[in-house]
Amino acid sequence: MMAERVIRGRIDRSGIFVSGDAPLLRLQQRAGGGEGRPLALPNLARLVALAQRLQREISRPLIAADDHSDIHALVRIMPDAEGATLEISDWRMGPVMQSQIPPVTEIAAVSPRAWMWESDGQLRLIALTAGAEAEPVPAEWEGRSLSELFELQPDGDGHFAVLRALARQARFAGQRVRTDDGKGGRMVMTLAAEPLFDAAGGFTGFRGTALPDDAPQPAPAPAALTDPAFGSLPLSDPAFGRRIDGALRGPLARIIATAETISGQFDGPIRADYARYAGDIAHAGRHLLGLVDDLADLQNIERPGFKAARDEIDLGDLARRAVGLLGMKAEEKGIRIDAPPIDDKMPATGEFRRVLQVLLNLLGNAIRYSPADSMIWIRLDRDGDHAMVTVADQGQGIDADQQAVVFEKFERLGRTDSGGSGLGLYIARRLARAMDGDLTVDSAPGQGARFTLSLPARD
Amino acid sequence: MAETPLFSQLASVNPALSARLKESAAFLAAPAATRLSEEQRALILGIARRLVGSVAGLLGGAVDVRALWDDWAVQGLPGAAPVSSLCFARAEEHRWRNQPVRDVGETVPPRVIAADAAIDVPVAAGSPPTAIDRAYLALQIADRRRFDALGHPRIAIEDLDLDLLRAMLLDIAAWALVRAGKDSAEAARLGEAVRGALAQHRPDRGIDRAAADYHAALATAGTLADSAAAAIARHDWPGFVALAAATHEYRYDAMALALITAEPAQLAPMLAPLVRDQAALVTLEGSLAMLPGRAVASAAPDDYTAALQARAALFGEAEGAA
Repeated sequence: MMAERVIRGRIDRSGIFVSGDAPLLRLQQRAGGGEGRPLALPNLARLVALAQRLQREISRPLIAADDHSDIHALVRIMPDAEGATLEISDWRMGPVMQSQIPPVTEIAAVSPRAWMWESDGQLRLIALTAGAEAEPVPAEWEGRSLSELFELQPDGDGHFAVLRALARQARFAGQRVRTDDGKGGRMVMTLAAEPLFDAAGGFTGFRGTALPDDAPQPAPAPAALTDPAFGSLPLSDPAFGRRIDGALRGPLARIIATAETISGQFDGPIRADYARYAGDIAHAGRHLLGLVDDLADLQNIERPGFKAARDEIDLGDLARRAVGLLGMKAEEKGIRIDAPPIDDKMPATGEFRRVLQVLLNLLGNAIRYSPADSMIWIRLDRDGDHAMVTVADQGQGIDADQQAVVFEKFERLGRTDSGGSGLGLYIARRLARAMDGDLTVDSAPGQGARFTLSLPARD
Repeated sequence: MAETPLFSQLASVNPALSARLKESAAFLAAPAATRLSEEQRALILGIARRLVGSVAGLLGGAVDVRALWDDWAVQGLPGAAPVSSLCFARAEEHRWRNQPVRDVGETVPPRVIAADAAIDVPVAAGSPPTAIDRAYLALQIADRRRFDALGHPRIAIEDLDLDLLRAMLLDIAAWALVRAGKDSAEAARLGEAVRGALAQHRPDRGIDRAAADYHAALATAGTLADSAAAAIARHDWPGFVALAAATHEYRYDAMALALITAEPAQLAPMLAPLVRDQAALVTLEGSLAMLPGRAVASAAPDDYTAALQARAALFGEAEGAA
């Protein structure tokens, strides 16, 4: 069954939220609005205002802050004489940035026999509390070093997980320790913790658990990864990735939103060149945000054991959605997209949003590198047990040497413009292969390029 | 306007209806007034429950904490006013600190260490900690006592005023005694437990003492203002509130509440001379502004009674003139 569901809403001419499906209404209410009140989601309100001003349908990615998560979605706004209709798809929840009070680890919640501890940046204990069914914590623990209270045990290679984590300011798990059991004996425990950082990005310590070895143990945390392209850079460390992702995304989103507000002259007319500069800032911001997205994706899909979901999808429907999202961008260059007709179906198996992501990448590249007033075709096909969708353009094409490297990481075929990060096709092919499919290119210089995504077909 | 007798009769035999009618009357008396959100109510209730549990625990495990809370949750907490103020202040501080960090400044990159590099970590620091370092460590420890094992906010026993602690201990002991059937031996035991708990009260381990010590250590080193600005930049709100509280000789919780409920224009005079850096003030103001549902003065409805009195006075004068 397809995971996709469209959430609808209606806004009137003056920006009042008239009605909406439950998730949208809840979001509106949590943002302080409600039915019959102004749309309280600033990013969405701006898009609605833009669509109404232009009297054109627009489709954009949307990020909205919710109580404990961010909502990521694709929104389509269709203005009319009375207001606008919203269609929101691919509604996903993403984590918000770390708060100043870190959540307790999951172990604490699931194991009442654990001790919860927190240390400062020098591994001195600043908190030690016992779970509901845990042994009492030792007396006079205040301010003592973690290694003084817990006798650290090396792992099989002679390493101490906690010390390596301290050096890398990263999470750790599986650090065996011995400590007093409060009854004159010793007990063996296992420590695990997450690093803590302040608002300036400074490491402030660890917060974690100590679980007796005779208590049920949680699954081990995945080991830190080493990426061949980045070597030992901490990009291979999920914690670093999350921090960079979180640290960049918020400010960038603000820059883009503000620049778009200025560029769109929503708050009143300004000089045309200023509006253009603001448009440039928004463009550059979107490029950087795209790079952050790509890096986050890269880290995610290169994680060992990464698996895509197996949704029942229709490549025809997804191709039309991609066209809907990027149609306006193509129109700006006078490019016409020949999309599969509405009744053209190609059932396949793959993760809905990942396939859409691949198609958006292929179509976005085609639009970016096609000449003005040209044509892009999207065709569906089936070859045995594989369903295929092909995006063909009339761009300058890719020669055989370039075809060999076009799917490499950071490969931009010598281009230096601000068009992309050089990760899109690499990620797209990795995703296609993770869904038991493939992504191939067929091109010759001067004859455009044909990118074909194939996935397991479904009858 | 007289209340309909039938309503009074119904309410007199139905406490739930009586409570709803009172709530309804309070609402209509000031419909525009901002009220506690569900999140605030939940936090206050949770903090109160943990406080009652902690104080009851001082009586040597003789009190059935769950039954006690069940009773008090229905009948109301004895001496609720001072407890509720503390719980409200703690809840608001928690909401503030629990906000996602959105306005990060210049991010300090983490240390980059090669995967195969030899790691040499000084577990026991070579040089003895400075007075500032020790004081800050003590402040952090005192602050973390204000959370339970699962990271929920609570009020540490060490931070309770002695009179309030005594009142709560006596209320809980009285409840336990009634429950035990007013047994004289039990009364004596509970009385002894109350005295013992009061004798062991250690406000010197509380956050107010830690704040004063940290402030003194920084003042001696002449780095008070710089440390306050650095705490703001790091969003180290407990560190900053501690310094501000000690500067004005406020309690920590009172200072936190004063900051959270301050209008932007009040911050600079309130924090002088501790914070002189305008950029630091902007960061602080930005963080406070992100907190929804703050009880700032401008959020209150106009004082209707005062307005009526003023208008009556004005009309009185006008009539007199006529």
